[in-house]
Amino acid sequence: MKGGVDSMVCLRIAGTALVALSLGTSAYAQGQGRRFERHFTVQGKPVVTVQNATGRIQVRAWDKQEVMIVGQRGSTNVEVDTEQVGNRIEIATRVLSENANPDALRADYDISVPAESELQVRSDSGNVTVDSVHGDMSFDTVAADLELQDVEGYLVVKSIGGSTVCTRCSGRLDATSISGNFKLLQPTMANVRVQTSSGNILFDGSFMNRGIYVLKNYSGTIEVRFSSTDSFDVRATSLYGNVINQAPVVPDRHNMPAPRSGLAKSLFGTMNDGRAKVELSSFNGTIKISKRE
Amino acid sequence: MSPTQCAQFERMLEEQPDGPLTAEASAHMKGCTDCRALWSDMEAIHTAAMEWGGREPEPPEYLWSALRRQLESEGLIRDVPRENSERSWLAGWFGAAPRWALAGASISLLLIAAMLASYQKNEPNAAAPLPMRMSISVPRPKLVASDLGKALDGDLKQVFDSLPEGNTVLTSSLRENLGIVDNLIAVCEKSVREQPDDRMARDYLYGAYQQKAVLLATAMDRSALEGR
Repeated sequence: MKGGVDSMVCLRIAGTALVALSLGTSAYAQGQGRRFERHFTVQGKPVVTVQNATGRIQVRAWDKQEVMIVGQRGSTNVEVDTEQVGNRIEIATRVLSENANPDALRADYDISVPAESELQVRSDSGNVTVDSVHGDMSFDTVAADLELQDVEGYLVVKSIGGSTVCTRCSGRLDATSISGNFKLLQPTMANVRVQTSSGNILFDGSFMNRGIYVLKNYSGTIEVRFSSTDSFDVRATSLYGNVINQAPVVPDRHNMPAPRSGLAKSLFGTMNDGRAKVELSSFNGTIKISKRE
Repeated sequence: MSPTQCAQFERMLEEQPDGPLTAEASAHMKGCTDCRALWSDMEAIHTAAMEWGGREPEPPEYLWSALRRQLESEGLIRDVPRENSERSWLAGWFGAAPRWALAGASISLLLIAAMLASYQKNEPNAAAPLPMRMSISVPRPKLVASDLGKALDGDLKQVFDSLPEGNTVLTSSLRENLGIVDNLIAVCEKSVREQPDDRMARDYLYGAYQQKAVLLATAMDRSALEGR
């Protein structure tokens, strides 16, 4: 009798395992069906544009003269269109049916490009990561966060709520956001303009000779970190907030214009020879000029 | 230049927006920097409207009526006899073809652009050296921003309603940031009311309105593209 019960239990376990295996295989097959891979041979400096409303976009430089796109669609409710016209590669996610849950409308991309590629990325939500690409690039995002690493070129970032972290970026940066934060870590950039309304801005790097750095927000904190060898003129103004300064500045030697407000808390001064120009302004946020540890 | 001549020039522009300038108006414009700048702005807006008009969808009729009522109530336009339709005044203003199509949201952007241009134009040149103790009277721009804000609010609601339903992250982010910008505008307006002569406070207020225009432009962009 006991042997009969054991057999029943074994049968049930085997049945359950079979069903699970069958479901898993089916899901795997579906996933494989939604995976795609495309290759485009290019020459010189290609321009790669990506339009993807929802999902992850990861772009990496590699040493081949080829653009490779590997991706995964969230469902059959989205389609991926790719096109090559000479050295221009266009990638776009197209929504076929709006009647699906948000996850079903996403597409994730891993894109490998030649190092000198130019990028134009447009995304609403989902992270965008770019690594080691040395061409001009522009980003137009709503809620997507942006992570740039070891990139070089003229970088233009326009975001609504997404934050940006730029690590070891070179070249020039123009960035605006409404509520996004900006972190510039170890930048080697001679021209930086960053504006966010309610986000924080951190600039942690050296100010280059003849560099111009304009950082502005309404609320939140603007922090710049300097080293003792940095050489800059600084003009920091917060209309209703505070300016906290640790830099050993001397009175401004270069006749920078006075603030256009009698209310504002301001700091004007020069550190070392004042080779770079640093303008920090906030409506009611705090501005910190801190010594790097 | 006398203010009366300038007022006549503006009235002529309003009544005959796409007509040629009279000899008198041309002569006045040659000698008047402000009116020349106004003419230049109108031409720029005209060009932008023509460019945008070609690719914008036809706005609903009620939007034209509402916009017209609003601009009349603000004194930005006068009630002139209309022979054809509700929209003829605006079509005439920009000198466009009868089938002139421009979304209300785009008009708000144009108004914001014109307002900002006018604001910049009226600002004294910060870099210009001024003699000490010299008393100067600088024409301060009218604070029409709040009125434009109302126009923007109406447009934003329409645009937000047309955003794709499936992309909830997009919609909630835009709404959340709209709240942030509206809050900034309120704080900046308070600051300008308390310190009307503080240029920096005014700079921030207009910057906040620019942010709202950017938000509207982004929402329009997404609303047009997401459904493709």
